[in-house]
Amino acid sequence: MIVSDEVSRREGWTNEVFQDLQVKAELGRYRIRGFSTFQRIAHFDDIIFIPRYISGKGVELRPADVSTETVLGTRYAKNAISISTPVYITGMSYGALSRSAKTALAKGAAKVGTATCTGDGGMLTEERKYSTTMIYQVNASRYGVTPQDMISGDAVEVVVGQGAKPATGGLLMGQKVSAIIAKKRELPPGIDQRSPTRHPDWLGPDDLGIFIEMLREVTDWRVPVQVKIPACRVKDDVKLAAKAGADGIVIDGMQAGTGASSEVVLDHSGIPTLPGIVLAREALEELGLLKKVYLVASGGIRNGIDAAKAIALGADAVAIGQAAIIALNCNRELPGITDFVREVGVPAGYCTKCHTGKCPVGITTQDPRLEKRLAIDEAAVRVASLLSSMTLEMKLITCALGKRNVHDLTVDDLSALNVEASMMAKVPMVGSGGTLLKSAGKGK
Amino acid sequence: MTKRLAGNVPKALSAPVSQGYSIDARKLTTRLLNASIKSGVSKGRHITILNPDARHNLAVGIVKRCSLSFAGSVGYYCCAFCDGISATIEGNSGWGLGDNLMSGSIVIRQDAGASVGASMRGGQILVWGNAGARAGISMKGGTLVIAGNSGFLTGFMMQRGRIIVMGGVGDAAGDSMYEGIVYVGGEIGSLGVDAKTESATRSEEVELRAFLKALKFRDDILPRRFKKIVSAKRLYQYDSLEPLERERLVI
Ligand code: SF4
Repeated sequence: MIVSDEVSRREGWTNEVFQDLQVKAELGRYRIRGFSTFQRIAHFDDIIFIPRYISGKGVELRPADVSTETVLGTRYAKNAISISTPVYITGMSYGALSRSAKTALAKGAAKVGTATCTGDGGMLTEERKYSTTMIYQVNASRYGVTPQDMISGDAVEVVVGQGAKPATGGLLMGQKVSAIIAKKRELPPGIDQRSPTRHPDWLGPDDLGIFIEMLREVTDWRVPVQVKIPACRVKDDVKLAAKAGADGIVIDGMQAGTGASSEVVLDHSGIPTLPGIVLAREALEELGLLKKVYLVASGGIRNGIDAAKAIALGADAVAIGQAAIIALNCNRELPGITDFVREVGVPAGYCTKCHTGKCPVGITTQDPRLEKRLAIDEAAVRVASLLSSMTLEMKLITCALGKRNVHDLTVDDLSALNVEASMMAKVPMVGSGGTLLKSAGKGK
Repeated sequence: MTKRLAGNVPKALSAPVSQGYSIDARKLTTRLLNASIKSGVSKGRHITILNPDARHNLAVGIVKRCSLSFAGSVGYYCCAFCDGISATIEGNSGWGLGDNLMSGSIVIRQDAGASVGASMRGGQILVWGNAGARAGISMKGGTLVIAGNSGFLTGFMMQRGRIIVMGGVGDAAGDSMYEGIVYVGGEIGSLGVDAKTESATRSEEVELRAFLKALKFRDDILPRRFKKIVSAKRLYQYDSLEPLERERLVI
C-alpha cells in the first residue's frame, strides 16, 4: 500500500492515538489497564558501567568472590533484615494476584534466602508459612490488616503510594472481587474496589512520626519499619519520612508495575526511577542519614544489571514486581493450555490485561479454572532461578569492576549514554568527562 | 458543641482479671510503659495507668483479653491494633483511638480526637463526649457509639459495621461508603459523595434503643428518631471493561 507523505508524517497523531480516541468516544471515561507505563523515558539501559584496566588494581576476581549479603534496618530495629541478595520481591496484593501466584513468589524467594512483601489485601497464611523474610505492608485501605499478622512479620512497610499510580489508591475491578477476596477485604463481592489514597489515621509528617512509633510499639521495636514512597517530590518526601523515624525508604519510580491503574496516572505522573534513586540518595546525604536509613529502589528493574545500576546510584537493595511476575509465566503462551488471542484479544507478549481478572496463565486472576494453570512449585523454581540469575549478573558486573562486594558499586562506576540520562542520573555523559550539572559524579 | 451527656458509664467488659494494680506513666518511657502493660496483662491483671498525660501510642498491639483503665487523657493511637482489650479512658483522646480494633471494648468518658475507630474490624467503641473528624473512617466491622456530635467525614469509605451518633454529624457524612450504616440522632451537616439517607425501620429503632439502653443511656436523652446514612451504591461499578475487552473475554 502506498502511504502518502501527509499520512506518514503525523507525529503525535499515530494509529494508537486514533484508536484511543475512538475507544474513549464510546467509553465515556478514562481508560484502565495493568502492567506499567510504556512511555519512552530514560531508564537503566541509558547508563552503563565503566570498568578500569591499567588504571585499576589489576586483581583477577571471579563472581564467586563477590558478596551480595544485604542487611537492612540497623537504625532502630532489634532484628535487622538479613538477605542473601539485595533483590527481593515487592508487595503485590492477594486479590490483584491469585493465591497460587503469591504462594509461588514466597516459595521462590525463600529458596534463595530473600524477602517477599505482602500487599494491599492482607497476608496469606501460605505467604507467612513459606517466606523466610516477610515484609508486612500497611496500606491506606488497611484491607485484611490484623495485629497478629503484623507482629508475625519480619519488617513493616508503610505504603504512602505506588510509583505506577502516584496519588491514587489501588484499584481492583469487580471481576477480581470474588467472594473470597470480598470476605478478606470486607467488601461487597463483585464491586469495583477503589482504595483510598490517604491513610485513615495520619495525614502529615508529624502524624507519620507518631504512627511509625506506634508500629514499633506494636512490634516491640523488633523489626524495621520502612516507608514506601512513589517518586514524585522525592527530596521533600524522603527527608520527611526519614525524619519521621523510618528505618528505610523504598523509592518507587514511575516505571513500576501495577495490576490496574488509570492510564492517565500510569503514563503521566511521577518521575522515573533513575532520578528517583538519585534524589532519594541526595536527600539522605543532606540529612547525614545515608546508610543509616536504608534505601530500596523499585520501578522497572528487569535484571541483575538494572539492580546493580540502582545500587551504584545509591540503593541498598532493589525490589522487583513485574520481573517476578514474568518468571511466573506472564505473557507466555502455554501450548495446549492458553490461547492469548482468543482469551484476551492480544498475542502473548502484548498482554496488559491484569485488571480484567482473566489472566490466561493464572497469575492475576481469581478464577479457579485459570488459577489451575499456574503450577505453584514449578513457578517457585522459576522465580528462584530468576533471582539467582539476577544475583549472578550483579556479581559478574561487580567483579568486572574489580570489587568484592556489590554494595561497593558507586556512581563513579557509571556513565550515561545520552544527555537525558546523564542529567537524570547525575553521572557523566560518556566521552564528555562531565555532565551539564554541577553535582554530578558525587560518590556514595 | 453539644452539652455533655450525663450517663452511667458502663464498666468495661470484664476479662478474667485477678487483683489489679496501677502504673505511674510519668515514671516510665513509652517503651517501658507499654512493655509493663503487656507483661501485666499477660498475667491477667487489671491495670490502671496513672498520669497518662496525653502520651501517644499507649497500650498498642495487645492481642489478648485484658482490662485496662487510663486515669486521664491519652494521645494518638491509644489502644490501636488490639484484639480482645477492655479499656476505659477517663479523659480525652488524640487521633486514632481504637485504630484497627479487632475485638473488645473501649470506653472514653470525654471527647475523642480525629479518626476514632479508624479501620476497626470488630468490637465496640463508646465515646461519651464528641468525636473529631473522620470518625469510623474505613471502618470494617463492629460498633462505634458517639454520645455527642461527630465531625467532618464521619464514616468516610466505611465498609461494614455501624456508627451510632446521638448528636449531629458534620459535612460529607458517609462519603464513598461501601456498606455499613451511620445512624444519626441530630442534624446532618451534609451528605458525602454517594451517600443517601433513609429512615430507620421500626424494628431497627427498637433494636437500637434496646442496645443503647443496655449501654446505660437514659431514655430521656435518646433521640426521638434516628436518620440512617447508607451507600447509594452508585460508585459500585464503573463499567470496568472496555467494549473490546468485553467481546474478547469469552472464557
Ligand atoms: S499474562 Fe496475566 S499477568 Fe501477564 S499481563 Fe496478561 S493478565 Fe497480566
